[in-house]
Amino acid sequence: MLESLQRAGRRAFALVENAFDAAFGPRINPFYHLGALGFFFFWIVAASGIYLFIFFETSIDGAYGSVEYLTHTQWYLGGVTRSLHRYASDAMVIVVLLHLAREFVLDRYRGVRWYAWLTGVMLLWFLYASGISGYWLVWDRLAQYIAVVTAEWFDWLPLFGESIARNFLDSATVSDRFFSLMFFMHLGIPLFLLLGMWIHIQRISRARTNPPRAIMFGTLAALTALSLVYPALSQGPADLDTVVSVVRPDWFYLTLYPLIDVWSPGAVWAVAGGGSLLLMVLPWLPRRREAAAAVVSLPNCNGCGRCFADCPYSAVIMQPRTDGLPYASQASVDPDLCTACGICAGACPTATPFRRTTELVAGIDMPLLPVRAMRQRTLDAMAPLSGTDRVLVYVCRSSSGLGALAASGVGVVTLPCVGALPPSFIDFAISRRHADGVMLVGCAAGDCYQRLGIDWVEQRLAGQRDPYLRGRVPRNRVATAWAGPRDGAELARRVAAFRAQLRDMGPYPQGGTPSASTAQSEMHNVTYRMG
Amino acid sequence: MSLIEWDEKFSVGVAAVDYEHRELIGLVNETYDRLQRPDAGVTVPDFLGEIYARISAHFALEENLMRAKRYAHFDEHKADHERLLDEIRDIMDDYEDRKIFDTERLAQRLGTWFTVHFRTHDARLHRQLE
Repeated sequence: MLESLQRAGRRAFALVENAFDAAFGPRINPFYHLGALGFFFFWIVAASGIYLFIFFETSIDGAYGSVEYLTHTQWYLGGVTRSLHRYASDAMVIVVLLHLAREFVLDRYRGVRWYAWLTGVMLLWFLYASGISGYWLVWDRLAQYIAVVTAEWFDWLPLFGESIARNFLDSATVSDRFFSLMFFMHLGIPLFLLLGMWIHIQRISRARTNPPRAIMFGTLAALTALSLVYPALSQGPADLDTVVSVVRPDWFYLTLYPLIDVWSPGAVWAVAGGGSLLLMVLPWLPRRREAAAAVVSLPNCNGCGRCFADCPYSAVIMQPRTDGLPYASQASVDPDLCTACGICAGACPTATPFRRTTELVAGIDMPLLPVRAMRQRTLDAMAPLSGTDRVLVYVCRSSSGLGALAASGVGVVTLPCVGALPPSFIDFAISRRHADGVMLVGCAAGDCYQRLGIDWVEQRLAGQRDPYLRGRVPRNRVATAWAGPRDGAELARRVAAFRAQLRDMGPYPQGGTPSASTAQSEMHNVTYRMG
Repeated sequence: MSLIEWDEKFSVGVAAVDYEHRELIGLVNETYDRLQRPDAGVTVPDFLGEIYARISAHFALEENLMRAKRYAHFDEHKADHERLLDEIRDIMDDYEDRKIFDTERLAQRLGTWFTVHFRTHDARLHRQLE
């Protein structure tokens, strides 16, 4: 059931993401930066909030008027800022919910990823509380509605001795002091939200909390335009002597509010509370066991720290040496954090197929696919091929049409992530003439399933990140295709084009390899952008 | 006979670096030894591959230390490392591509290649790595 839900969700996301890929290119597809966009919108809300605070009057009688002044008299700055404050917080709800849904359908919420999921679900409450307490401050009829309904909602809980709703029955009992309390809540809850967002990203390394600049400018421009064309307005001053009958709620934050009246406060508690609880325990329904975690081989580890630098999940730590060898440190894996992506092995300098096969154990290796097995699979995949267009494809298992590859007459080795490939495998395959060309196929650019795999591969190929692909490897024999999960036909076309190119080039020259310098050479491999 | 003998003058004063240098000298000598046997064509590429892996790890560790200590001449030294890695790869490919290879010439290249690495350890680096 869960799986078919995820499959359907993946198809739905793929449909929309393909459209965005086509429009903007995968690098700045906002769907690949939903979490980072959440941070970005938070900062917009925070900055605009500070400006609004300067003019805001924290009193029952002054609040509405001060917001009206901002909106109308000072529309060019105050009004726009107010609208930005509102629309960015709405946008934050949208990206956060999409982020949640996307991580669910991609199955990135279970196993070692439970922590981010659980903290993320808890953040939803802070997000909604931040937004709703903000509507309160405008003190218009919508605010009055929110105040009364929220009070009813909380009164249902057996927490307060007396009814807080009674506070709102007439204007005499709502004091400035209570209003100040609301104001501080609207300040305090978002601060806790920010703290929670920081906690949320603790278990990953190099969390992307800023989307690409193009996305930032684009969304900010769109929000500003929206603010100018369709400014956020108040809905008439609150009047506690009358009952609010018609309001236009903000559906992003107040989705459940009408139900408090229509159903009952208890029912809405059941939906919101029960729904949150269900989401929170989802990673254990059922629990997923990750593939066996990375294993360190101390005789092959000198503590160089490259795996530590490249692990996307902070699962590798460097600790003092335990085996008596005169090195200062050694790598150590926390299996509770390891997703078995293999990116650590891809970074390990001893993970090279040129080594003696009997001793080929990398300093850090994946039990599921140790480098020795990777080497053997490479040889096995290429053995049946002949000609001058033998292509060896290393493909990430979460990526594109594996079926399309299988049918295209190339040797295929599937990896947990393209980042798990030590670059010297490419050097090995070409210089030892096991292949005429090597193609790396991964997820869509900017959307690596294992977060950093594609970034690291591109940097390793370009000689910008260790371990470098050696400059001697002719770059016109190396191709990358960041294909995403849904470009099977396109991928087959690219493979065919690459093979044709290799045929034109003829076989890799025998003897006397070009000794191009790795440090200085111009290293541009063939890059195929999908979509 | 060994191709290279460990000499105290090689010591850079960092236990881990000295240890790896000794290991590498051992590997180079063993390779030299294998070169002179009849089955050299089969075993030597593997030994060269092993040297390549070990020297890669050795440089990786050294670079890590240099980064940690913010060694001022990091880029230069890193470029030296990459050049040496390119050279050992040249030696590997040359041996691989021409199976009948002048043993003495290979040994000489290997020996020179290795001692060049020692020369890259200048006094500035030692002071910083200690």
